[in-house]
Amino acid sequence: MIAFDVIGFLLSWFTFFSIYAILSMSLNLEVGYAGMANFGKVAFYGIGAYVSAYVSMSIFLSLAGLNYPLYSLEATMAMVKLSTQNPMLNISVFILTLILSFLIAGAIGYVIMYPTLRVGPAFFGITVLSFGELLRIFLRHYKPTGATYGLTGIPHPFAWIEDVFVKNLLFTSVTLIILTLLFLYAQRLVNSPLGRTMLAIREDEVAALCMGKDVPKVKGKVLFIGSGMAGIAGCILAYYIGSINPNIFVPTVTFDVWAMMILGGIGNNKGAIVGAGIITLVDRATAAINFIFPGLIIDPNFIRWMIIGLIIILVLLFKPAGLIPQKYTWTPAWKIIRPLEEKAKRRREKLLSPFKKMSKWFLMGG
Amino acid sequence: MAPILKVVNVTKYFGGVRALEDVSLEVKKGAMVGLIGPNGSGKTTLFNVITGFYPPDRGEVYFKGRRIDGLNPNEIFKMGLVRTFQNPRLFFNMSVWENMLVIPQDQKGESLLKAPFTRLWLNEEMEIARKASSLLKDFGLEDFVINKVSDLSGAHIKLLESARGLMGKGEMFLLDEPAAGVAYTDAHKIFSFIRRLRDEYGLTFFIIEHRIEVLMDYVEYVYVLHNGRLLSQGTPEEVMRDPKVIHAYIGE
Repeated sequence: MIAFDVIGFLLSWFTFFSIYAILSMSLNLEVGYAGMANFGKVAFYGIGAYVSAYVSMSIFLSLAGLNYPLYSLEATMAMVKLSTQNPMLNISVFILTLILSFLIAGAIGYVIMYPTLRVGPAFFGITVLSFGELLRIFLRHYKPTGATYGLTGIPHPFAWIEDVFVKNLLFTSVTLIILTLLFLYAQRLVNSPLGRTMLAIREDEVAALCMGKDVPKVKGKVLFIGSGMAGIAGCILAYYIGSINPNIFVPTVTFDVWAMMILGGIGNNKGAIVGAGIITLVDRATAAINFIFPGLIIDPNFIRWMIIGLIIILVLLFKPAGLIPQKYTWTPAWKIIRPLEEKAKRRREKLLSPFKKMSKWFLMGG
Repeated sequence: MAPILKVVNVTKYFGGVRALEDVSLEVKKGAMVGLIGPNGSGKTTLFNVITGFYPPDRGEVYFKGRRIDGLNPNEIFKMGLVRTFQNPRLFFNMSVWENMLVIPQDQKGESLLKAPFTRLWLNEEMEIARKASSLLKDFGLEDFVINKVSDLSGAHIKLLESARGLMGKGEMFLLDEPAAGVAYTDAHKIFSFIRRLRDEYGLTFFIIEHRIEVLMDYVEYVYVLHNGRLLSQGTPEEVMRDPKVIHAYIGE
């Protein structure tokens, strides 16, 4: 048996967990709260990854005065050297691209999905699904981003640290911090008047329109935030694996994220994160088992999705609303009705008390 | 008194089907007006045209002296014209409390930047909550605040729909069968409640109802639609005696 690097396993799991948790949380905002079936999540994930790769490599190469095309071998070789020289530059470029990928993915999400909202929900799903796939095909043929080969040599923000363990530890902590911040933002967003309005739109779009809600505008807002968050996930992925190509962004990614959301519970941010945790754990664990016990009769990688499918079926059988079902949105307004709530409880007890006495009488024999 | 709602020569066709033809009517401020007619006579279509769901093919709609045909439903709601649906369209998987709070227009907390910061919208939210809790008490729904709407009974859902309408700046209500599917005594309860609301809050009601015998006890004026045309109008007594109306309802 080969020595197994437990901490390395945990770091890799946590990083993938953060990336997918951000994705499933953003999908949950769109599907679970605003009721828009977004089957094109991967497009915005890809946009985030490509924006960060393109911008970071361009900045490094142009600062060094090198004029190679980004996809060339020379550029990749130069990046290996350049990325270890200036720690401040690495970190500031990382922060810059995080913001840029959020804004660009958000803006594209807003622009592309806004017109499709006027058609029915089914058409909306199909339209964004094909947008994701078209974007991938476009990238496969787009020379400046390396066509099928993609871009290699994305400067890791901590590339200047020689110890690989410390480097990975730092990066994983940063991704976990980003996940926490986004989770807090999402929690506050849904437990606010905006979250309430989103839920109302999911429940009944026509009624929301009748009650004076500007439905397309609210949906546009949600799409901006959702797509922007997916862009951030893409940015983290690009820096983590250091090399991206169009074939990472196949539609399957979208459906993985849907599976996470359904498993965890639609309409609950915590559920989206728990779902992402479980599925990425199975994903990483099957890879690790194959690594620890090579030459098994059945390669666990091949039955990975069967295991995930089984988990989903079992969970939905016993908890149809997912592991953590949806709750009411909580705003400070609930404090006002606490006395009413207690009064209702007292009244219920008073109503029930004769029955209780009666049952006692029967049971105790008077 | 000047009419709060004025419909002038409204015509609406669906393909070749005539849904409304040259319908003109007026509702005075503070009045309770009924709209009756056999099934398929165009009552709900008229409501849909007034509230902006369909644009009329011809004709004009005025609310508070402003022309509203062609505006979006949400804009018309903001002006104070509220409608209810034949099948109540509440947000069924949300609590009664949320159903009330979600209604007021342009809340500060609905902005993307302000929503995460509770302090920025706390005052407004508490004001809305106080209004909602006093309305729920008025409507006798205070015991159900934390319940899901789908757990309520039919009559309570009807009441909640009206209470919800009052959360906005509703001045006039178009009620589509407020007592459909409700027992006879409860129907009277709902209508006397509507009358009390009219007297207390100074609201205007325009009501579609199939239970003519209940409706006639409460409204001051009735319009009768038949096959998309205005067949008759007048006080309840006049309309009930009109041979055309009797003919339309009972037949030969």
